[in-house]
Amino acid sequence: MSETWRNRLMLAIAIVLAAIYLFPLYWMYITTLKSGSAMFATPPSFWPSDPQWSTYAYVWESRNLARYMWNSLVIAFGAVALITVLGTGCAYVLARYRNGWIDIGLFLILMLQVLPASLMITPIFVGFSQLGMLEYPRTAVIIAIAAKSMPFFVVLVRATFMSVPMELEEAALVDGNSRIGAFFHIVLPLARNGILVSAILIFMQAFGEFVYSKSIIQAVEYQPASVGLNSFMGPNTNEWNNIMAFATIYVTPILAVFVLLQRRIVSGLTSGALK
Amino acid sequence: MTHQIELSGVNKYYGAYHALRDIDLKIRKGSFVALVGPSGCGKSTLLRSLAGLESISAGDLIIAGERMNGVPPRKRGIAMVFQSYALYPHMTVEENLTYSLRIRGVKKAEAKKAAEEVAATTGLSNLLHRYPRELSGGQRQRVAMSRAIIRHPKAFLFDEPLSNLDAALRVHMRKEIRSLHDRLGATSVYVTHDQIEAMTMADHVVVMRQGVIEQQGPPLELYDRPVNKFVAGFIGSPAMNFIPAKVGADGRSLVFELGNPQFVTLDRPLPTASKLIVGLRPEHLRLVQEGDAQIRLPVGVVESTGSMTYITSATTPEINVVVTDRQPLRSGEMMSLGFDPAHLHLFDTDSERRIDIAG
Repeated sequence: MSETWRNRLMLAIAIVLAAIYLFPLYWMYITTLKSGSAMFATPPSFWPSDPQWSTYAYVWESRNLARYMWNSLVIAFGAVALITVLGTGCAYVLARYRNGWIDIGLFLILMLQVLPASLMITPIFVGFSQLGMLEYPRTAVIIAIAAKSMPFFVVLVRATFMSVPMELEEAALVDGNSRIGAFFHIVLPLARNGILVSAILIFMQAFGEFVYSKSIIQAVEYQPASVGLNSFMGPNTNEWNNIMAFATIYVTPILAVFVLLQRRIVSGLTSGALK
Repeated sequence: MTHQIELSGVNKYYGAYHALRDIDLKIRKGSFVALVGPSGCGKSTLLRSLAGLESISAGDLIIAGERMNGVPPRKRGIAMVFQSYALYPHMTVEENLTYSLRIRGVKKAEAKKAAEEVAATTGLSNLLHRYPRELSGGQRQRVAMSRAIIRHPKAFLFDEPLSNLDAALRVHMRKEIRSLHDRLGATSVYVTHDQIEAMTMADHVVVMRQGVIEQQGPPLELYDRPVNKFVAGFIGSPAMNFIPAKVGADGRSLVFELGNPQFVTLDRPLPTASKLIVGLRPEHLRLVQEGDAQIRLPVGVVESTGSMTYITSATTPEINVVVTDRQPLRSGEMMSLGFDPAHLHLFDTDSERRIDIAG
C-alpha cells in the first residue's frame, strides 16, 4: 500500500518536473502559430484558436533560412568528421596503454574540457587571424569546435574501447592479423555503437554552437543558424512568432534525432555500447 | 629436428620484475606439454611469449627450427585457445572459424568447406550460423578449439581453456582435447593451474614457481620422484603430508615430530643431516592393526564420500589419510598407521630439496 503510494507520488513529481522543463519548448511551438495580437493577449492562450501556419514559410523565405541551415550542417558535419577520425585513434591509444604518460595525457584532455568557449575564443581568434585562417571562416570554426569537443569524444570513446576485451585483439593477432588489421576488423566493429553515439552527441553540440561562429564568421553568407537566430533579435524586437518559427525550424530536426535515437544513446553511454 | 619448440635461456622482465628466469624447455613434435603452477608463476607469460604476444628479454625461442624471438604473432604459425575463448562476438561461428583463412586470402568457398569439415569433427555442424552469445559455455569452448584446428598450426597453445566450465564438462573436455591432440598429431602446450589436468592430459609436465621451472618430466615421474618440497606438495591430490623429523641416534630410524615424538624404524641408512622434512602421500598411508603400527595418531576429522574416507589427524601439523574403505573411526580415538618405506620422501629442511635414500 505505502509502496504504491510512494511510487505514485514519485511519478507525480516526475511529471511536474518534466512539465516545467518542457514548458518553454511547448511555448515556442505555440507561439509560432499565434497571430500578432494573440501573442500579446492577457491572459495568454495556451492553445492557438487560429493557427498561422504561413509564419514558417514566411520566415524560411524572408530570413534565407536555407542558407543558415546549410552552414550549420556544414559546420556540424565537418566538426564531427574531424573529431571522429582524429579522436577515435586517440581514444584507442589511451584505452590500450597504461602508464604515467597516458595518465598525464588524460589529465590534460580533461583540463581542455574545463576551459569555457568564451575564454578560449580570444586566443583562438588571434591565432587564427595570424595564420590567415579567417579567410576560411567555416573551416576555422570547424577546427575550433573540434578542439573544444574532442576531449568529450575521446573520454567517451575511450570507455567504449576499454570495454572491448584485449584478448579479442590478441586472438586476431594470433589468427594472422596485424595490429592495424585487428583494430579495423575486430575492435572498431565492436566499438561502433559507442563511437556512433558519441558522434551524434558531438553533432548536436556542433549544430547548436554559437560562441565561435559568432566571433569568427563575419560574413552573413557563412553564418550558421545559431548566429542567424541571434541577429534576428534586437532590443526592439516584437515579432516573437517569427523568431520562434526560426527556432522551431532550427531545433526540431535535432530534437527528432534525439528522440529517435534516445534509447541507443542512453544504452551507449551507460553500457560501453557492447552487445 | 624432432623438437617443435625449443626455449633456451629465456628471460623476461617487466621493468624490475623478473617474470621468467632462465627457462630451458624442449618440446618434442607431437607431444602434449602442460605448464602448471600457482598463479603468478609465469606459466601464462611463457605461453604468451611462445605466441608472440609478449616479447622475451633474453634467450632464444625456436619454433619448428626457426628463431622466432622478434617475429610478430601472425608469422609464427601457431594457434591459441584463450581462457575466455575470445570468440569474435560480431561474427557467426562460421565467420569465427574462417577468420584466419580469410585474412590469408583463402577463397570463400574453400574456407567454407574447411569450416564445415572442422565443424563436423567437433560437433558444431548445426551451429555454424549462430553467434557466440547464442552458445553455451561448452559450445563456445568447441568453437575456440575449432578456430585453432582449422589453421593446421605448428603448435596449439592453450591458456587455461577449461577453467570457465563446470566440473562435469571439464572432465569431459579434458578427454576430448587429449583425443583431438592424438588424432591431429599436433604439438600442444597447455597452461593450467590444476595439477589434475596436467597429470591426466600431458606427456610432459613442467612445474613452475616464481618464473623458474622447478621440475619437468613425465607426470608419474613428478609424482614418484619430486625434486623438492614444492613440487611434492603441488603434484598429487590431496596434497602430500609434510612432517618435520629428526634422524635417530642409530642413523637408521626417524623421529617424526607430531606433538609427541613418534619413532619410526626404517632399517636403512639415512643421510647425516640431523633435521629433515618427511613427505608422505595421504594415499600411501594405511590403517593397520595396533601391533603393526609405525605411527599412532589421534583422529581429528573423518569425512566420507562413500567411495573414499578422508581422515585428518588431531596433530600439528595435521596428517591426512585417504583410504578406500569405510572406517568406523571417531574423533579423539587413536589410529594406527602403516606405510611402505619406499613411499617415503625426504627433503632437506633448509633447501627443501629432495634427499635420496639408498635401498
